[in-house]
Amino acid sequence: MSERYQDSIRNFCIIAHIDHGKSTLADRLLEVTGTVEKREMQDQLLDDLELERQRGITIKARAVCLAYERHGKKYELNLIDTPGHVDFHYEVSRSLACCEGALLLADAFQGVEAQTVANAYAAIEADLKIIPVINKIDLKHQRSDEVAFELHQSIGIDIDDIVKVSAKTGQNIIELLDTIVDRVPPPSGDPDGPLQAMVFDSHYDEFRGAVTYVRVMNGRIKKGQKLKYLRTGRTYDLIELGQFRPKQTPCDELQAGQVGYLICNIKSLDQIHIGDTVTHATGTSGEALPGYKPPKRMVYCGLYPSDGQDFVELRDALTKLSINDPSFEFTPESSDALGFGFRCGFLGLLHMEIVQQRLEGEADIDLVQTAPNVTYEIVKRNGEVIEIHRPQEVPDAGEILEFRQPIVRVNIIVPEEYIGAVMKLCNDRRGVQKNTEYLSATRMMLTYELPLAEVIYDLHDKLKGVSRGYATLDYELIGYQPADLVRVDMLVNGKRVDALSIICNRADADRRGRAVVKKLKDEIDRHMFEIAVQAAIGNRVIARETVKALKKNVTAKCYGGDITRKRKLWEKQKEGKKRMKSIGSVDIPQKAFMAVLSTGNEE
Amino acid sequence: MDPSQAESVAATTPTAAYVHIPFCRHRCGYCNFALVANRDYLIDRYLAALALELSRVIGRPHLHSLYLGGGTPSHLSDAQLAQLFTILRERLDWNAETEVTLEANPIDLQRDRSALFRELGINRVSLGVQSFQPAKLKILERDHSASQIARAVENCRKFARSISIDLIFATPSETAEQWHVDLELAQVLDIDHVSTYELTYEKGTRFWSRRSKGLQAEADEDLRCRMYDMAICSLTARGFEHYEISSFARPHHRPRHNQVYWSGAPYWGFGSSASGFLNGVRYTNAESTLRYIKLLESGERPVAHAHALPPIDLARELLAIGLRRLDGVGEREFQQVSGFTFAATAGPTLERLQNLKLIRGFHDGATAGDDTSPAVVKLTERGILLYDSVAVEIIAAATAADRDAADGPDDQGKSSG
Repeated sequence: MSERYQDSIRNFCIIAHIDHGKSTLADRLLEVTGTVEKREMQDQLLDDLELERQRGITIKARAVCLAYERHGKKYELNLIDTPGHVDFHYEVSRSLACCEGALLLADAFQGVEAQTVANAYAAIEADLKIIPVINKIDLKHQRSDEVAFELHQSIGIDIDDIVKVSAKTGQNIIELLDTIVDRVPPPSGDPDGPLQAMVFDSHYDEFRGAVTYVRVMNGRIKKGQKLKYLRTGRTYDLIELGQFRPKQTPCDELQAGQVGYLICNIKSLDQIHIGDTVTHATGTSGEALPGYKPPKRMVYCGLYPSDGQDFVELRDALTKLSINDPSFEFTPESSDALGFGFRCGFLGLLHMEIVQQRLEGEADIDLVQTAPNVTYEIVKRNGEVIEIHRPQEVPDAGEILEFRQPIVRVNIIVPEEYIGAVMKLCNDRRGVQKNTEYLSATRMMLTYELPLAEVIYDLHDKLKGVSRGYATLDYELIGYQPADLVRVDMLVNGKRVDALSIICNRADADRRGRAVVKKLKDEIDRHMFEIAVQAAIGNRVIARETVKALKKNVTAKCYGGDITRKRKLWEKQKEGKKRMKSIGSVDIPQKAFMAVLSTGNEE
Repeated sequence: MDPSQAESVAATTPTAAYVHIPFCRHRCGYCNFALVANRDYLIDRYLAALALELSRVIGRPHLHSLYLGGGTPSHLSDAQLAQLFTILRERLDWNAETEVTLEANPIDLQRDRSALFRELGINRVSLGVQSFQPAKLKILERDHSASQIARAVENCRKFARSISIDLIFATPSETAEQWHVDLELAQVLDIDHVSTYELTYEKGTRFWSRRSKGLQAEADEDLRCRMYDMAICSLTARGFEHYEISSFARPHHRPRHNQVYWSGAPYWGFGSSASGFLNGVRYTNAESTLRYIKLLESGERPVAHAHALPPIDLARELLAIGLRRLDGVGEREFQQVSGFTFAATAGPTLERLQNLKLIRGFHDGATAGDDTSPAVVKLTERGILLYDSVAVEIIAAATAADRDAADGPDDQGKSSG
């Protein structure tokens, strides 16, 4: 039986919690296989978004091809990078669909974390061969035996399968490569069948246009062929194909099982759909592969340009961003307080933060962001079920039959000594305890059902706070449940500020209302007149604070040179005023729009 | 716009000039003016640079006011001052009618320099007194004593027809009683004009950094209000007219020079960091003394930035600055200078400020009814205390046209995903 070329290919990804050394391991694999020469090494080669390197996290899926030789046989190992954070589950699922194996990476000191478990289950679900790896065995306080036991307890890993390495020192990296070759199955798929190539990512190159990342499932792609992208139905001449080694390296052919890139003279990224199938434009064309599960947006917030005139700029920037990141969506909206902007949906809070930073960093747009909220459901008396993406949309109490909120199942992994504090936190947030189990002698996994709204506000921060940073959490949506919810409005000098309304549990309304108006009082500068800040349910005021009027605001001199200085100062204040939102002649700073995050639990 | 072009336009030739002398003995902790301390070796080069800057003035225009500020102009030696005036005389004309002011540190007027000053034509002195009390002077890092102030005033009387002093209040830990003492002592002196300044914390000063580190506390608002009120009561009771937010003058001693600034008239600024206003262009020279010198030495112009303001912005600025005069701004003169009515300049804003009882006297021509007398807009008592906020409101006033432009686009973004 002749050797198929596919038998020399191994496609794998790395699943890891943030900080467990995924990027370092990837760097080491590149170095040991000679894909990158040592002198060209720079840390975290794969994380090429500036933001990724800054924050030490991976946001987008990447691919790199490693050449590895063993016993005189050459192997092509394709490493497809995956994001580690819970928010990017969606991106993980894209990577998983292109691989046959996954390295499950755990830190020899920190052990198994909640996200590791979640992603490991996703990989098992996708029928990937799991290679458990314990990293950082060079650490003085490493406890790899216990971590091995945790992997066994939490995911059912066979302890004998575990490879222990140090990505930092390079210890056992060769063994790991051998294990990949031995245990990850070579890709199946028929190189002589009709072409089906899965699009799993893309990026835009200023000089060469859109670059499509593909994993060939069946058939082969050759230089000079005409290709068809099934989703748009458009055909293109293939200009270049190749692999990432880790720079784009052209080749003549990619066949079933291989991972690489295509450059087709595509002018705009919006013509490339992640999850699409590429096939031949002529001859027998392949069927569309099953795409990806569409991403679930869990968190919504409003994004507004801080200066009304940047609306078009913001729209263009959002469009550009959403092409590379289909998990994020936006629709135009308007607010009395903030003018024209967009309601944006995100996978989670980190995702929201990253999108905002990319907008400000890459597109240089100043944003006003409203407080994030989850999507609620309301059953109206007339039987109609509506989705609520922002508090303003909540109808009058009389029209509401049932108010429902999203509930998530939360897994928290925490050292035993913090268990009491974590349980108290979850109970305070209306959590229902579902399960408790020991992962090892000292670490436990708690499972709760919690309202998503409680999770997105600050649960993660609070959790880190009560556990000295040791607890980790992961969550998944399990459905909607009715709850006693109300909309609380904020009034500034008697005027309702739509962008400041919140939805919360009726029992919390007083506390939240008081906290928000107190925060607003602190954020709003004193004016030339007194300002009343109130919280109200319907017409009933539940909290009030007063911003006292300014008494003295006059600087002494104003001579020749001072006019120029003053002019500058005035211009600055004028700009500042522009950046604030004026409601009934009260200037409200942008920061105040986040005040609604105050829970009243700050003490 | 190039301000040098403006210099040749005879119609708008200024009749006022400001000359900056950036040299000081040392820098006080609250001061963020453009100055250099301990760089006296630069003085001669600086004067030569000034001569170069002045050489661009065309003709030999006549001045009503010449003001030497700093820094500390009195810090120059007699010879250097004589040299400075020779340079100025070459390009600018003035006579005995002209108000020629010198900013002076009391310490520089301990010996009698009246012969020279009289010869140079200096007839007004602005003395940086700040306080009479050793403890307060020490906090302000001033280097003179109360007796030195008295002597300086005495020496000034020999050549100056008008003497002004500066006083600072609301310094760290200062009490109302201390401020009272300063106000009383000031009026023992034979002076004609007082400027009272509340201590302002300017970025880049030692006071600022001490305050941000919590080492120095700002006086509380009630106390600051009270001190300001004390100054007004005390000075007006002794025959000083409170004619501008922080200025008090005996009858006929309102300085001409500041009126120029407050009335929107053009003026020259010469020297490092000096600002001028020519043909609607505000310009400022290089802030750094050495940079200013080098620019001129290499044949370049010393202007660091020039800003041509659209007429409507100039009008708003004129109104905002004009309101510092407690007599207010008369609409007729205002319209002559700016070309706009009050209503066109900031109508809705003025109305709002008037409703808030911060200004009075504004009436829209359309709603004036029987009242046909020309409007004069003034600050109210509360408006004086909140002047900075009032000014920003006027500067940032939106006209109907501005508001239309700021309204959201009708083109709605398409949704993605």
